[in-house]
Amino acid sequence: MSIVLVGLNHKTAPVAVRERLAFTDEACAEGLRALVDGKVVNEGLIFSTCNRVEVVAATIGESEADGRKRITDFLSQSRCVAQEDFQSHLYSHTDDAAVRHIFRVASSLDSMVVGEPQVLGQVRRAYSLAVSAGTAGRVLNRLVHQALHVAKRVRTETGIAASAVSISYMAVELGRKIFGNLKGRTVLLVGAGEMAELSARHLVSAGVARVLVANRTSETAQKLASQFNGEAVEFSRLPAYLAEADIVICSTGASEYLITPAIAREALEMRRNRPAFFIDISVPRNIDPEVGNIPNLFIFDIDDLESVIASNIREREREAERAELIVDSEVMQFQQALRTLDLGPTLGALRQKLQDIARSELARQRQRLGELTPEQERAIESLLLSTVNKISHPIIHRLKSSYDAGENADVQTWRDIFGLESGDGGQGSGDG
Amino acid sequence: MKPLLLIVLAAYVVAAIHAILAFVNKRRTLERITLGSVAFGFVLHTFSLVTDWTGEGRYPLFGLRETLSFLAWTLVATYGLVIFRYRTQALGSFTLPLVAILTFIASVTRDNASAVATREVTDPNAAWLFPIHTTLLIFAYAAFFLVFIASIMYLMQERELKLKTFSAIFHRLPSLTTINDIATTTVGVGWTLLTLGILTGMIWSSSLGNGLWHNDPKEIFAALTWLLYLLLILYRASAGWRGRRAAWMGVVGFALVLCTFFGTRLLGGYHVFG
Repeated sequence: MSIVLVGLNHKTAPVAVRERLAFTDEACAEGLRALVDGKVVNEGLIFSTCNRVEVVAATIGESEADGRKRITDFLSQSRCVAQEDFQSHLYSHTDDAAVRHIFRVASSLDSMVVGEPQVLGQVRRAYSLAVSAGTAGRVLNRLVHQALHVAKRVRTETGIAASAVSISYMAVELGRKIFGNLKGRTVLLVGAGEMAELSARHLVSAGVARVLVANRTSETAQKLASQFNGEAVEFSRLPAYLAEADIVICSTGASEYLITPAIAREALEMRRNRPAFFIDISVPRNIDPEVGNIPNLFIFDIDDLESVIASNIREREREAERAELIVDSEVMQFQQALRTLDLGPTLGALRQKLQDIARSELARQRQRLGELTPEQERAIESLLLSTVNKISHPIIHRLKSSYDAGENADVQTWRDIFGLESGDGGQGSGDG
Repeated sequence: MKPLLLIVLAAYVVAAIHAILAFVNKRRTLERITLGSVAFGFVLHTFSLVTDWTGEGRYPLFGLRETLSFLAWTLVATYGLVIFRYRTQALGSFTLPLVAILTFIASVTRDNASAVATREVTDPNAAWLFPIHTTLLIFAYAAFFLVFIASIMYLMQERELKLKTFSAIFHRLPSLTTINDIATTTVGVGWTLLTLGILTGMIWSSSLGNGLWHNDPKEIFAALTWLLYLLLILYRASAGWRGRRAAWMGVVGFALVLCTFFGTRLLGGYHVFG
């Protein structure tokens, strides 16, 4: 048995290649049934997102090349793409390397934006498709559950997703730093730029209650405001509305300062000095940088945001190094679990077989023993079973040590002697 | 040195170390260890104070050792309340080290408090007032320490937001608004306790026929402290002095608190008992 992963992602393949190999949910279910043939591949999972297409398989044989070839053939046939069109973009991992790769993907260490939260849901989705297609068995169940566990550990034990890495989300993060909870706050959009709109969207989903939009063209303001159940306000009365807003996002094309220190000071006075947070993403700037000197007023222009993002990315990278250590230790744990996962059925079958022999022999000779008290009957049975256990004990011990040493041939010999099937319910009787 | 207090000390040290590690590393498991060992230490500490009280038949707040130990206990209690109310773990990494240090000094200090628990303090006329006077003031000190910590956190955070360069600490601190709320609440509580503490002290002193006021350094510093925090509260209420100025006042106020606390030891006066 081995775990083989073949795939491509945003680092190895351009979107023109990725889109041709991508699976829809329906195609995924269909593909999984084609992939798992019971001859080479025993379990399968397809992970297809906009950034990657990966096929994970638990193969019956030990040969890495067989598994890789099987998956590559499958991709080519299933997606109707010639192999030479995508072969050069493929990477493949086996066993520990495959496990590590899956853990890293689930923990968002392999994502375009390290620490992004969507990938976990995508892993869950891919897994549930495999479960409903009946192609997730003992190995993949275990693998995916542990991958989700690793992702959770990474998220809670490192700060990998702690800080914002996009300008639009920065408004939320810095807003929280200043106001704590954003529930019930008011945001004023000055200008109706795309970035301002996106920021407002993040702010609203973080709990901001009221959105005011001021724009030179009132129709544009109306249109944007209606998206957030907000109010369009008169551009000329900007200073008055400034006092009502906790967060102000400026993104107009104006070539002069719209918010001067005098205007800001007055607004802050009307707010009774409650802190205010101004974001200026317009170039040329709309807010006089002098405004930043007013106490209780915090102002960030586009360069400030960019430099905070750069430092957040560095912070994420530092945290990612710690996450890799978590992944390392989890890969080791999985390795150990997998061993017993594979040997477990063999051991169970061996015990069962020997006990069955003992019981059937007892049944055969039972008549000759005549009348027995229930205690005597139990004594005979336990005598037989303990004899059987004593005999099987050194065998099991030997099996385990061979298994741990990776001497699969030795394990197979014992399986053959007792006519036992290996790991997975009937399909792989020792052609490994 | 009491074995019980040593266990308390150990629990506080463990809590303080984990609080600092959690602050640096941001690991939730460490925060749980902090809370667990603080709770454990606090329960034992309470038990230790109660046995002192019942054992010696005297309120365990007299002399340096007892005062420090009681102050540590008070700090943990206030820290617990703030954690419960605001869920800001960051406070622990500032408060708990001090708690551990205070407990350490208390556990290695010997004072002959019971010998000097003099006639005055045990005078039957108003003996019950004295412990109330001291307890109120100790709690006031603890509250002002929290104001001080909150002010420091505010200044650190505000500075980084203004300069737009964020250190690792930045991500661990609670929001400006939360810190401001903590400071506003605790300064109110602290000032009320201080007022009541000063009043009970005056009543106690006059009931012994010693008059209300002795111009002793502790009293003068206490009066100054009282005035300064009153100003701070008024300014905060009138909204003119939010944010940084209020935070600076919280820092200066605490310097006065320290003078009040140690004033007698350095300058002598009516409040010298031991």
